[in-house]
Amino acid sequence: MSKKKRSKSSTISRRDFVKAAGVAAAGVGTSVAFPLGGGAQERKTLKILQWSHFVPGYDKWFDGEFCTAWGEKNNTEVIVDHISLGEINARAAAEVAAQQGHDLLMFLSPPAAYEDQVIDHGEIYQELEGTWGKPIDLGYKSTYNPKTGKYFAFSDSYVPDPANYRQDLWSQVGFPNGPDSWEDLHKGAKAIKEQFGNPCGVGLSQELDSNMALRGLLWAHGGAVQDEEGAVVINSPGTLEALKYMRKLYEDAQTAEVLTWDPSSNNRGMLAGKLSFACNAISITRTAEKQNPEMSEKIQLAPALMGPVRRIAAEHVMDCYVIWNFADNKAGAKQFLVDYIGDFANAFKASEFYNFPCFPQTVPNMDELIANDPAAKPPDKYKVLGTVLDWATNIGYPGFASAAIDEVFNTFVVPTMFATVARGQATPEEAAATAEKEVKRIFDKWK
Amino acid sequence: MGLRRDAGRLGAAMFAPALLYIVALVGTPLVLAFLYSVGNVKVGSVGYEFVGLDNFISVLQSPTFRGALLHSFLFTVGAQLIVIISANILALALVDRFRGRGLVRFFILLPWVAPISLGAIGWKWILDSIYSVINWVLVQLHLVEPFDAPMWLGEGALAMLSVIMVHAWRMLPFSTVILLAGLTAIPKDIPEAAAVDGAGFWRTHFQITIPMMTPIINVAVLFGVVFTFTDMTVVYILTRGGPYNSTQVLPSLAFFTGILGGDLAEGAAISVFLVPILVVIAWLMLRLARRAEVV
Repeated sequence: MSKKKRSKSSTISRRDFVKAAGVAAAGVGTSVAFPLGGGAQERKTLKILQWSHFVPGYDKWFDGEFCTAWGEKNNTEVIVDHISLGEINARAAAEVAAQQGHDLLMFLSPPAAYEDQVIDHGEIYQELEGTWGKPIDLGYKSTYNPKTGKYFAFSDSYVPDPANYRQDLWSQVGFPNGPDSWEDLHKGAKAIKEQFGNPCGVGLSQELDSNMALRGLLWAHGGAVQDEEGAVVINSPGTLEALKYMRKLYEDAQTAEVLTWDPSSNNRGMLAGKLSFACNAISITRTAEKQNPEMSEKIQLAPALMGPVRRIAAEHVMDCYVIWNFADNKAGAKQFLVDYIGDFANAFKASEFYNFPCFPQTVPNMDELIANDPAAKPPDKYKVLGTVLDWATNIGYPGFASAAIDEVFNTFVVPTMFATVARGQATPEEAAATAEKEVKRIFDKWK
Repeated sequence: MGLRRDAGRLGAAMFAPALLYIVALVGTPLVLAFLYSVGNVKVGSVGYEFVGLDNFISVLQSPTFRGALLHSFLFTVGAQLIVIISANILALALVDRFRGRGLVRFFILLPWVAPISLGAIGWKWILDSIYSVINWVLVQLHLVEPFDAPMWLGEGALAMLSVIMVHAWRMLPFSTVILLAGLTAIPKDIPEAAAVDGAGFWRTHFQITIPMMTPIINVAVLFGVVFTFTDMTVVYILTRGGPYNSTQVLPSLAFFTGILGGDLAEGAAISVFLVPILVVIAWLMLRLARRAEVV
């Protein structure tokens, strides 16, 4: 069920008038990139659908402050509907089938399959590049189709996926700063499980966090689902190394718990004091700060783990807005995105550093902010995220996001491959061959 | 004559909403599913191209699909075996009058009247890897170690058993009510005559009650089979088809492929794959229902 919030003013009081005039005055001098059309008196509507953010304060800021001010400035009633992240794809499919719905819809992964149903978002990027510079490569590769030359989405932000570790446990097995590499993870997690019983939490389930963590492991060992040109390369020596590693890690340091998970399970496992390690966004530490301050001091962050080939991790969530071809207010939607990026410094703070900018210049003091967070213990807990662009990448790495990559992701081919090897249901060679067959079958469909 | 014509019009008018409902909400999606399954429809595609049986050929090459097909049968047969045996026992227990029978019937019906999503979420917590109340009890009784409790949804066989049990829990009230109706319809003089002739409980049950209830048991089984074959809620909420696709069934795979994966055509092909079997089951169901009416 969606939560609907409207920023509207059906009757205007004197106070509202003065406030609106102030906002309008504040907006004088800012360019309108996409003329909104209509006469001066014609009030428009802009309908937005996006997830209920993990940080409630973000939705409060977005709906209550940004959208309200933007609506008043642009004589537009902004309607924001929120749904849970698991419902987004089904809702998008329904809107396309009905050829009506919202003007702006936000996916949490690259929606390449909808390319024919959306406008080319390239003009929004072009408009923004003049002010804020080029978007990061991660945003570019998540929203651009090199075969058609079309931007099928616009990405404002992404969510880093660092390593979360229990410093109190890792200190006792010789890693006071947590694991730096996948090899460290095996050594330390095995020692912790043997000494204290706490298992390691690299997910092997059919869910988002496992999908992300296992891709990081795969890439770090030199494997990948596709190459730069989009050819299927999953059955490779690098993949076999990653699978052998996972088998070893599972046997020595994990339990079958990691096969049962949904996206919030590793959060609960860390907060309950059970897990020694998990790959996740900063949702674990932020929740701990609010609900379990004692545990918050114990859980620290580390960058993506170094593998035999590289240090790398997938983004945890990729915000991707689309404007449908059938949207009623395309000009308003484009202008909204341009203005939203212009105010992204506030979005970054409202999200409690959850959403990182795809246009880094919008938050020029980011390093300073994340190094001094009064809610964090210690205050520089989030400083490690300053290097995120050195190790975070997109789902189709080293190629672009595509509809085929999206289907491979959503049918959990990679977690299934790792899980069958970890549980001894298949050898690494068998699992890689099975995954290759399935991935090739999917890629053939989307050619 | 005019009165008869008016009655005919009234009948048609009263029947029309039901017909409209069935055509709009059952007929149209079914026809669309068939059209999609032989087309090239993707979530974002415009237009339609007939591709024959390509989607069916494609899914048959997928080990995930073949596994899901097997799991669908296992899930259905397993759940229905449990349901029909348990429903028989419950119906026998509930047929006689006793103090609090109404309350017991109410509690037994609860899983059926409550939304399945709520019930499944409740079971998800009961079987959770950290907060499972079953594991808590086992740990408190020192039967398992705190870090070594059974992972109900993490072992292939245990996960399949879990989804079967939860689905059986959900279907049990429905079958119980049907069997209870069948049981109360048996004329009382027949078992009484058997008792006079010296037949005990088991002999009466297996040689008189069950044979007389066979048509109604068939109806319960066939309804249960159709509901189970086409259900994805329990699997989706509890395991999402995991671990490593060991509980993946055709409806959940169709959802993952068609809606989340974006390939509507292949999703449709997966979902209509069982239609021929379900049509035969439905035909049997209607035939047996007619026999049950005679009884």
